[in-house]
Amino acid sequence: MSSRSVQYTSSPLLASKTPIWRSQFIVAVIAAGFLGLVARAAYVQVIDNAFFKRQGTVRFVRTLDLPANRGRILDRNGNILASSVPVPSIWGNPEDIERDPAKLKALAKLLGMTSAELDKKLQDEDKTFVWLKRQVDESVAKEIAALKIKGVYDRKEYKRIYPEGESVAHVVGFTNVENLGQEGVELTFNKALGGKAGTRRVIKDRLGRVVEDVGEMVPPLDGEDLQLSIDSKVQYFAYEKIKEAVVSNKAAAGSVVVLDVKTGEILALTNYPSYSPGKRGNLSGAQLRNRALTDTFEPGSTMKPIVVGLALEKGLVTPESTIQIGNGKFKVGTATITDEHAHGLLTINQVIQKSSNIGASKLALQMEPHDMWEVFTQVGLGQKPHVPFPGAVSGKVRAYKTWRPIEQATMSYGYGLSASLFQLAQAYTVFAHDGEVVPVSLLKTNQPVTGARVFSSKNAAAMRNMLHLVTIQGGTAPKAQTMGYAVGGKTGTAHKVEGKGYASKKYRGFFVGIAPIDNPRIVVAVMVDEPTNGAYFGGDVAAPVFSQTVQQTLRMMGVQPDMAVKPQVVTQVEKESF
Amino acid sequence: MSRVSFLLMIAVMASALYLVRTQYESRSLTTEIDRATSLARNLETENDRLDVERRAQATPLRVEKLAREQLHMRTITPAITQYATVSGGAVASAPAEVRP
Repeated sequence: MSSRSVQYTSSPLLASKTPIWRSQFIVAVIAAGFLGLVARAAYVQVIDNAFFKRQGTVRFVRTLDLPANRGRILDRNGNILASSVPVPSIWGNPEDIERDPAKLKALAKLLGMTSAELDKKLQDEDKTFVWLKRQVDESVAKEIAALKIKGVYDRKEYKRIYPEGESVAHVVGFTNVENLGQEGVELTFNKALGGKAGTRRVIKDRLGRVVEDVGEMVPPLDGEDLQLSIDSKVQYFAYEKIKEAVVSNKAAAGSVVVLDVKTGEILALTNYPSYSPGKRGNLSGAQLRNRALTDTFEPGSTMKPIVVGLALEKGLVTPESTIQIGNGKFKVGTATITDEHAHGLLTINQVIQKSSNIGASKLALQMEPHDMWEVFTQVGLGQKPHVPFPGAVSGKVRAYKTWRPIEQATMSYGYGLSASLFQLAQAYTVFAHDGEVVPVSLLKTNQPVTGARVFSSKNAAAMRNMLHLVTIQGGTAPKAQTMGYAVGGKTGTAHKVEGKGYASKKYRGFFVGIAPIDNPRIVVAVMVDEPTNGAYFGGDVAAPVFSQTVQQTLRMMGVQPDMAVKPQVVTQVEKESF
Repeated sequence: MSRVSFLLMIAVMASALYLVRTQYESRSLTTEIDRATSLARNLETENDRLDVERRAQATPLRVEKLAREQLHMRTITPAITQYATVSGGAVASAPAEVRP
């Protein structure tokens, strides 16, 4: 055995001098440490686990927005007037965008902006999101994607498309880039069309895929489709015709309103100048205005039938009663009312046919102001029409207690009160619907309506006869005649008010009529504002538009002609022989 | 006793593994559903877009322009229309003249 071998176990040097309690103490401390951990673990996982649960959730649960589709706007035949389609919008992340001048220049060009404008949008490097251009064309988005610029992305957004364009622009209106209605029906029915967005909580995995739903989903509530009473064909035709009339008469503007007498539905409501709702750069107020509802004017001679109707109703006259017009001048107090011609003795029928101011005034002066005021109010003058349009005006009819006799006389031929073209159209339903004023609707109803009775059925028929006389030889509006259908109506021509008085050479010509006159289906009102090409009488500028609109509208409604027409059919179909 | 415990432990393990597998399957199915739903939605919006496009091709403005220019048609009037009246279910012969 070697001398170097040592008996360690018995070496006194290695004999432990540590007391036993020290090792016991260490074990106890470690055990206490473990116990502490167990207690903490129990506390965190069982007793107060909300905080960590929440933290866990935050790290992998995402709340997704489920956008609601905006409802479509349809015409009465289900044709689309407005619908939302997804389009790409381009956004950038200024923090990590690749600033390659050549690529950015190409991008700016595709976005239709200058490089300086683009740089300005991207200058704030603290931002992580900035819209570069919203709602671009699909092809542009593809070209941008092809540039492969890091930090430039696209995202789907919804854009409103208006396939009918200008002709229905004022009715439908438009939405802004946030899909909120700004004008027309889009504005009025914004809430119903917009729907309600939903949400969904999900767990996403590392690749961004949805792997699990958490909690309940709130489904999106899509906006409702809105079906209007407008017939896009009638609307288009009316728009084309008023456009032609405005251009050929070198006028400032024009409007047409077409009402279905049986249902009270608005078949067309159009104005020129208009705009394309999809392209709204450089819009002027003149283009935006829905003149048929927002512009009021003195209704002129179109008021006479209402006053005469009241005279019949009160039993003051019959259609065949005569009234002395004399030499065409009639003094009321210090003022003089004049007619264009010295007609002498006229029947009531002729007062309307020839549009005699004196005849209407003489009748008005036999009536109580209150009665006249009441009829005006009943037919809707001075009242805001019940149509869901922003900016519809009420016009003005002053309180009857303040009327002086001369005012009562001038009101009988339409001066001293104001109304919109739409109000006039509605007022004329009183003649067309057998003495009842029909409530109008912009939404499709297709139900016959009953209105508020103003005149008796017999007097309404007598008035229709007078209105028919206006459009035949000897009346003021033979140009309102239309092939195949007997029509009736009344012309109006009013000096435009400028400042405190009447402008000497600015006129407004209009025509409100009914067709077919014996069994009325439609009321058409036409207004041409400031015609400057010579003709300015309603019978010359507005009546032809009425004639063409009636012709096409009745044809589209399938109303058979009630007048014999000389056929111009070039070939006759021969019966086939066997 | 220990044999029973062992068997139970095996059962627990198997059940746990099965749970993991089911969870995995459920998640991949959810992903699948999600993909299908978004595809359905895309197709729906595509359908809407095509509807609008179709309508844009058939607006009265375009139809009239094409009819007038390419087909040399003109607007009809009652003078060049023959009205056929339906009587007793059969269409009566069209009169040469237009009568009410």
